[in-house]
Amino acid sequence: MRLVTVRLHSQATLAQAMRRLGLTEEEVDSGYGLVLIDPGQGLYGLRVAEEAARRIDPAAGGGPYSDPRIEPFGPPD
Amino acid sequence: MEGSVPPEPWWCTMRVLIQLRPSPDVVAAVADPDVTATTADVADGLPGVVLDPSFTPVAVPRPVPAAGGDPLSLNQSLTFSLSADDASVMVRGEISDDELSTRVTLLPTLRNDVVGVFADPVIESNLTCGGDAPVGDWHDVERLLHVAELHAEGLDGSGVALAVLDTGINAAHVARHLGRDLLLDKERSWNPDGVTGRPGEFEVNHGTMCAFDTLIAAPRATLIDIPVLLSQRPGGSALDGLLSDAVAAFAHLRTVLEAQPAETRSLVISNSWGSFSPRWDFPVGHPGNYSDNPAHPFNLIVASLEQAGADVLFAAGNCGRDCRDGRCAYPDRPIAGANSHPGVLSIGGVDTGGQRVGYSSQGPGRLALRKPDICSYTHFSGSKAFGAGEPDSGTSAACPVAAGLVAAIRTRWPVSALSPAQLRTLLRRTADDRSDIGFDYDYGYGVTDTPGVLASLRRRAMRVA
Repeated sequence: MRLVTVRLHSQATLAQAMRRLGLTEEEVDSGYGLVLIDPGQGLYGLRVAEEAARRIDPAAGGGPYSDPRIEPFGPPD
Repeated sequence: MEGSVPPEPWWCTMRVLIQLRPSPDVVAAVADPDVTATTADVADGLPGVVLDPSFTPVAVPRPVPAAGGDPLSLNQSLTFSLSADDASVMVRGEISDDELSTRVTLLPTLRNDVVGVFADPVIESNLTCGGDAPVGDWHDVERLLHVAELHAEGLDGSGVALAVLDTGINAAHVARHLGRDLLLDKERSWNPDGVTGRPGEFEVNHGTMCAFDTLIAAPRATLIDIPVLLSQRPGGSALDGLLSDAVAAFAHLRTVLEAQPAETRSLVISNSWGSFSPRWDFPVGHPGNYSDNPAHPFNLIVASLEQAGADVLFAAGNCGRDCRDGRCAYPDRPIAGANSHPGVLSIGGVDTGGQRVGYSSQGPGRLALRKPDICSYTHFSGSKAFGAGEPDSGTSAACPVAAGLVAAIRTRWPVSALSPAQLRTLLRRTADDRSDIGFDYDYGYGVTDTPGVLASLRRRAMRVA
């Protein structure tokens, strides 16, 4: 899965994001859903299959962005 | 003006030792134990160098090979001469980082008494490292944070929401080891998709330690439990998560923040985690990169939440040069991504003796150069989340200790009275400078200083009144 972004109006839904990006249900992490990143810019994030992320039209969405592992900083090994 | 946020100076200095060969009578005076020569006697003004007048010049003997020996080799039998004709003299100073290479090259050509310019790194003995026994306990941290003085001014975290993004909190363990009840808001707590535990009922682990440490300074703060490091998504493991879960967690926290009345709004977010390795990231320069890219969605949502009024704190990391965590994989500049964000406080670690712990990551940061911002206390006996003799350690502990101090301040200073940027400036400006040169990449601006914070807040309150 890859993290991608899309610009939509406020109160947007995952279905609207999928339509904008041309994605099918199988290509989207529906458990993760559509996450509002920056309300000022109407910027949302979602997780999509790697192949689908490569296919997204840059005019419609941003990414793919890295989604690195995050780990606790302690106790130090 | 205290309320304004001055631009951060972009320059730093490097401490240097300068070897000089002044006239023989000056060398003789420096070498004579009965005479006290000063830096001004030896080097009165070197272009581009701020000389340290407190440093007493030192005579440096000249290595002299036996007759016929190689004058350039130290790998032979040598004698050392302190005679006025042979010896040189060392003084100390600072050169601006942006001029360093030029100055180091030009100094010997501009001044023929300059023999060489050398780095003067900080040397510290017996730094606390991972695996070392605790240095003091959490009551020492209470004392160092001047918690009694905070509480005397009504600053105990009452009414302040404090989110702990970690492995989940075990509230019963925290209460047992603190010896008092804690406030945990189950309604505003949140799990990433697929994480099934209930707020305050997670296994005792790293998140429990962090929760305990926030409550040292702010025992009446209301904890919000966000077990973001328990992600069960593909690519994660038992005790780590994915950054996308942190994006979703921050989006949830924006709803928490925006549900509060604007005039009393406050939300402190403690993050004792990060990414240890560039292996999971796109390369620097790639538009999808996280570590160095302010346009990455997580770095954007951090900026957005800070702008909405959240105080965001991140641990600087455990990749300090002296005893770095074995997981550290960045070849340099390990304070990466949001841990180095200009809109957050990046927290380094000191032990209860005030000395930087050897594993506390050093700057410069990748998104903002001047990281860490400040240091707080770690490596003390506290929550016992990892066993009876084990310390609360890592910058993982320093970050929530500092978050507790921020939450205590917020008790009477909501965002409407003191913006997150103003609060960061206040903590930096009042920090106890550990290096004598202002900001440095080991301690940042210094160790948090509660009396300085309180004095500044009192002055501000009088101005507002």
